[in-house]
Amino acid sequence: MIYLDNAATSFPKPPCVTEAMSRFLAEDAANPGRSGHRMAVRAERMLDDLRLKLTRFFDGEDAHRMIFTMNCTDAINMAIKGLLPRRINGRVPHVISSVLEHNSVSRPLQAMSERGQIELTRVDCDDQGRIDPADIEKAIQPHTLLIAVTHASNVLGTIQDAQAIGQIARRHDLIYLLDAAQSAGVVPISIRRMNIDLLAFPGHKSLLGPTGTGGLYVGPRLTLPEAVGESGEGEAGSNGQERSARELSPWREGGTGGDSTSPVQPGLFPYYLEGGTPNTVGLAGLMAAADYTAAHGAEHLKHERQLVGRLLDGLAGMSMIHVLGPATPEERVGAVSIDIEGYEPADIGAIMDDSFNIAVRPGLHCSPYIHKRMGTYPAGALRISPGPFSTEADIDAALDALKQLTGG
Amino acid sequence: MTTLTADHSTDRYHRQMLLPFVGEAGQAKLLKSTALVVGCGALGTVIVNMLARAGVGRLVVVDRDFVELSNLQRQVLFDEDDVNGLVPKAEAARAKIARINSQVQVIPLIQDLNHTNIEQVALEGDYGPVDIIIDGVDNFETRFIVNDTAVKHGIPYIYGGAVGTVGMCYAVLPHTPAGDKPWEIAGRATPCLRCIFEQAPPPGMNPTCDTAGVLGPVVSIVSNYESIEAMKVLLGRYESVNPNLVSVDCWENQLRQLKVGRAYDVGECTCCKKRNFEWLDGVYSSSTTTLCGRDAVQLTLAPGESKLNLVQIADRLKAHGQVKLNPFMLQATVSDNAEAFELTLFKDGRAIVKGTKQPTRARAVYAKFIGS
Repeated sequence: MIYLDNAATSFPKPPCVTEAMSRFLAEDAANPGRSGHRMAVRAERMLDDLRLKLTRFFDGEDAHRMIFTMNCTDAINMAIKGLLPRRINGRVPHVISSVLEHNSVSRPLQAMSERGQIELTRVDCDDQGRIDPADIEKAIQPHTLLIAVTHASNVLGTIQDAQAIGQIARRHDLIYLLDAAQSAGVVPISIRRMNIDLLAFPGHKSLLGPTGTGGLYVGPRLTLPEAVGESGEGEAGSNGQERSARELSPWREGGTGGDSTSPVQPGLFPYYLEGGTPNTVGLAGLMAAADYTAAHGAEHLKHERQLVGRLLDGLAGMSMIHVLGPATPEERVGAVSIDIEGYEPADIGAIMDDSFNIAVRPGLHCSPYIHKRMGTYPAGALRISPGPFSTEADIDAALDALKQLTGG
Repeated sequence: MTTLTADHSTDRYHRQMLLPFVGEAGQAKLLKSTALVVGCGALGTVIVNMLARAGVGRLVVVDRDFVELSNLQRQVLFDEDDVNGLVPKAEAARAKIARINSQVQVIPLIQDLNHTNIEQVALEGDYGPVDIIIDGVDNFETRFIVNDTAVKHGIPYIYGGAVGTVGMCYAVLPHTPAGDKPWEIAGRATPCLRCIFEQAPPPGMNPTCDTAGVLGPVVSIVSNYESIEAMKVLLGRYESVNPNLVSVDCWENQLRQLKVGRAYDVGECTCCKKRNFEWLDGVYSSSTTTLCGRDAVQLTLAPGESKLNLVQIADRLKAHGQVKLNPFMLQATVSDNAEAFELTLFKDGRAIVKGTKQPTRARAVYAKFIGS
């Protein structure tokens, strides 16, 4: 099987990931922080090491604010539903997002908007999927609270100027949530330089970890509710009541191991947001993956861009195929979506699998708004996404299949 | 209601009670029986009609489809009102039988019957475990799931099938490990369906009623064979149950009795000898994925299926709508229940059914036009 669906999840994983998970499961898989015995302590230490590693990797300031989640969607929900709904100066807040968003961002925001809990502006992009940061600035209103945008489009591959958007957010004292689903691990991210307040990322895509892992980095501008701040007691959460603008409520509540006397989530990062037993086995894999990615991430980016370049060059000669997104690989992550005249993407996807043994992803890629924007709704497009272990031969095989299908 | 027809007397069964192997005791047995009729189409309506009139106390009828105009040519319990009212087949059967014999109960289940729920339906319903399962099915996957259930739990199963002008009927009185079922004690256990047909035919290789057509009398003949075998079983008259597989071609005037009795003794049946219930365990079950994008469901067959002959299938589908064929796929526009679907079929047997988001609907369309 030629696997070109890395934007969905990377495959294969480096062998060290499998080994780390297997070793941890066999030797160390105790429940961290739930007791003081040596195995529990080892598990807890592994998590702490990983927090620190990921915080450094993304250039954050405080490892305690690196929260483990099940995936990027979980992290985004934790961010959005920790901040919202609420009222600011007596009115519902305004949120700025974009047409490029994945459903993990657009669905929670759309649902709140339909319930009248927020006002939502979806900023447009250009034909290549670039958001003009000036458009975001223009959309800001006095009651704007949050900017929630994707770093790289999972459909078009377009990388946004996350730093410019961060500058605007900071200048207007807004909270900035960056969805790094397609970028984390392959496109350099600096939480501090980019002024990111909330960074949501998956462990299982370009970080090369297993599914069931992800994280939300919660920047220092986000605070605990005052009542729980220092004492660790009091009412967290607020049912949309008035509260401090940057206060985050726990989206998931439950056991945290320590401080069981507190009737509500303990007021201490990361435990404040991490109710329930974490996916320690997966996180052990992510630990190995993070090491691997830290060492090879730059090569991966270069390699994926070479493959994307080869793919774009090959597609350019096919008259029935329209490439969505930027023409230059440097503006992209490793995802190329195409529209094929006379074929439904779902059918092409099945043919690629059935007749050519190639795994690609047809459809809307959970991002309906950008397909509407590009005129590829509702059938969607066919996404070809090479990863760090894809080869030139894989790309050539995909090109050859498309050539046979379209008659050149 | 205390009308003449709804009372509790057995007068209405007088003609069949005259027969020595029915009598009062036999009629009482029938009234206490529960039969599961899987599928309420051409075969199922005749079976439900016959058994309800004969006083089989409870008929559990499972069908996922709605009555459509092209059913009326042979599906005897339905009428034009059911078509206009978009009535589910199982419910239409219940309503019709309620007017025919209020002494019996039809329990309609409007759902797909598959390996995940068949044991619940057969064993755990409010109506108690069923005494017999009768086949009114349009696909082999369900038949093998039914056969597995019958063998696993020692429930008699009457197989029946018809297409074109030919049909078959066969009674499975399953062998059980304990060997203590009354039909085993009577020495009348029979081979199971998998002793006879080891595997389901590959999809698209067998004609279906929706592609090849079917004559009403043929299904009536087959389903009446099924009904009489079911009555023998419910009456406990195992010595009279036909041990042969009956095969009939009403156009070529052939009626054959295939002696299959030795299939159990000589074979190494995975199901009834090794008691390995692969179909019930879902080993061969097709899976469905609702595709992202347009309303479309992909059906993927279990691994190891043979490659499809798209050219042959295209030939057969031509009569039913526009067909496009290239070396990679076959695309056909078909119509079912007055709804249009686009069916795209690939060489490995997978199919994309466009025009629905419902896996059940997609399975139904696949079963009707490709067969499984």
